[in-house]
Amino acid sequence: MKPKPMTLVLAAGAALVVRRALRRRIQASPLWPMPALDPSVSGRPRSRALTLLVTAHERIADGVVRIRLEGHDLPRWEPGAHLDLVLPSGLVRQYSLCGDPEDTSSYTVATRLVEDGRGGSREVHEQVQEGVELEVRGPRNRFPLVEAPAYAFVAGGIGITPVLPMLRALPESTEWRLLYGGRTRASMPFLEEIEKLAPDRERSGGRVTVVAEDEDGHPGLDAFLADLPEGTAVYCCGPEGLMAAVEERLPAGTALHLERFAPRTTAGGDGEFEVELHRSGRTLTVDGDTSVLAAVRAELPNTPYSCEQGWCGTCQQKVLEGEIDHRDELLTDSERGDSMLICVSRARGTRLVLDI
Amino acid sequence: MSNKHVPLKARKVSFAWEDTPLHWVPGDPFTTHTINVLHLLLPAGERWFVHVYKQVLPYIRDERLREDVIGFIGQEAMHSQAHDEVLPHLKDQGLDPTPYTAQVDWLFEKLLGDRTLPPGRPRRWWLMERVALIAAIEHYTAFLGDWVLNADALDRRGADPTMLDLLRWHGAEEVEHRSVAFEVFLHVDGGYARRARTWATAFAALVFLWQRGTRYFMENDPTLIDGRATFRDFHRRGRRGLLPSTGAVARSVPRYLSRGYHPSQEGSTEQAVAYLAASPAAVAAVATEKSQEGAV
Repeated sequence: MKPKPMTLVLAAGAALVVRRALRRRIQASPLWPMPALDPSVSGRPRSRALTLLVTAHERIADGVVRIRLEGHDLPRWEPGAHLDLVLPSGLVRQYSLCGDPEDTSSYTVATRLVEDGRGGSREVHEQVQEGVELEVRGPRNRFPLVEAPAYAFVAGGIGITPVLPMLRALPESTEWRLLYGGRTRASMPFLEEIEKLAPDRERSGGRVTVVAEDEDGHPGLDAFLADLPEGTAVYCCGPEGLMAAVEERLPAGTALHLERFAPRTTAGGDGEFEVELHRSGRTLTVDGDTSVLAAVRAELPNTPYSCEQGWCGTCQQKVLEGEIDHRDELLTDSERGDSMLICVSRARGTRLVLDI
Repeated sequence: MSNKHVPLKARKVSFAWEDTPLHWVPGDPFTTHTINVLHLLLPAGERWFVHVYKQVLPYIRDERLREDVIGFIGQEAMHSQAHDEVLPHLKDQGLDPTPYTAQVDWLFEKLLGDRTLPPGRPRRWWLMERVALIAAIEHYTAFLGDWVLNADALDRRGADPTMLDLLRWHGAEEVEHRSVAFEVFLHVDGGYARRARTWATAFAALVFLWQRGTRYFMENDPTLIDGRATFRDFHRRGRRGLLPSTGAVARSVPRYLSRGYHPSQEGSTEQAVAYLAASPAAVAAVATEKSQEGAV
């Protein structure tokens, strides 16, 4: 049977209408009729590698250089954040950001030459120059400025770098004090700016105390940490000895925040601690030479993992209790709050409770 | 052809995209964008592979296969991260992929994600269905990997070396681990009806996603006034070697459905391993790893 011309016209018209309607929908929603995931996940990589140009490399104190790295549309950061620098030799080193967090066209870091170090600082001092391109990762913050009624900062030498943006960020009315120690005044970076930040040092009862060992002897930690208001957040960054001394003298009712610039170790190492596996109801001991992953796998052989170096993310586990010593390169700051990569990260204290 | 077994290991690569132009195959936006669809699908897709494979680990009773799966998971996680890093670069150049990737995210996280099923058979069924889907998709990733390793036409056209290295590093790892997904499927299920059914779903979905993706990029490319994508464009570039040829795609279908299929018959492990030994990104990854071990 031959179709009537009218039927053909109607069918063609209907096809046109459908086609136009489809095209409009696909233009508005590329995978129509699928909905979009809200919030979406893809397109926000965790560690976007950026290549930045060194536009300034200047000596700002004895043995300290300040480096300015320029790019465009750089991720913003909060005071306390650090950057991973991939040095020309492939070494990766972390440096606290000490510039302006609002500046999205450049990052500033400062580093001290460690004579007997592992080569990273020597490379930054001697081989990185103006015009060199460096790969960076981050920024990341494991030393964030928390909300507190009052603040006490203790900085030793180059440890002033993460503290400086904090001081700049605190509102004028906030109660804070700073103890800044170093070997000699000439070796202490940013002294001038610090003294400018608290000009009425004498009258306001010593907001900033600068102690140079060659002139004033050892910093008076006891006096500095005496009569802190209830709830004060104490921030300390500097040599291991200084941080241990602050930890020892920490008054009750204050919270301590430490930033170590000691190297992050890739595997094993350090103290023993206990791990409780909440859902399986077992408790294990992780000694200094094994990873949490190895200990957990001995009990639960089907625990997922892959790279064992803290970057693939497969072994991420939820942490219910305990303070975590994060040693991975992957998790975001918010994920670090309640989860860890068990292949490299460890406990800061003596116990962790995992949700496995 | 080689099917020698190599231990699988993820490589922590990183790529800097600042110098890669929008049309990284010079003067050929269609080829550029057809290949760019990979960056839309892979971040969510390979994340989903990892998610599913973490759940399948307890079902694997063979030690060597388990080790392969562990290596496979790390490689897939890294692929997902590496392609994800291209997306902000596209956005910087005025081609925002978010509307598309948000929907791909929904596909893998919701439609193909874990469902609230009663434990036991229904839950196992859904897991096996997804394992079979992954095996079918991996047939195509290995096909594409083998293709890109041999796509000399892209070099001759002056394609961006960083993008070519990303594609070939990824392609080489896909060829390297091409047998894993299929062996997992055989090990935990292996039913032919499921294999045929999931192949049909995967193939239809890939065609659908790919044509919509190319079309999306062509229409939203800020440098093109009337960007269109047609099947003829694809067919022509296939003949010139800039994209896989229509014939090669068609011939890959009966191979996967044949009862004697095994992925080791496709592509060459030796070629893949040789590329990985020379790939700038993979070489840098090994050097970084060594220097970090040395520093500790």
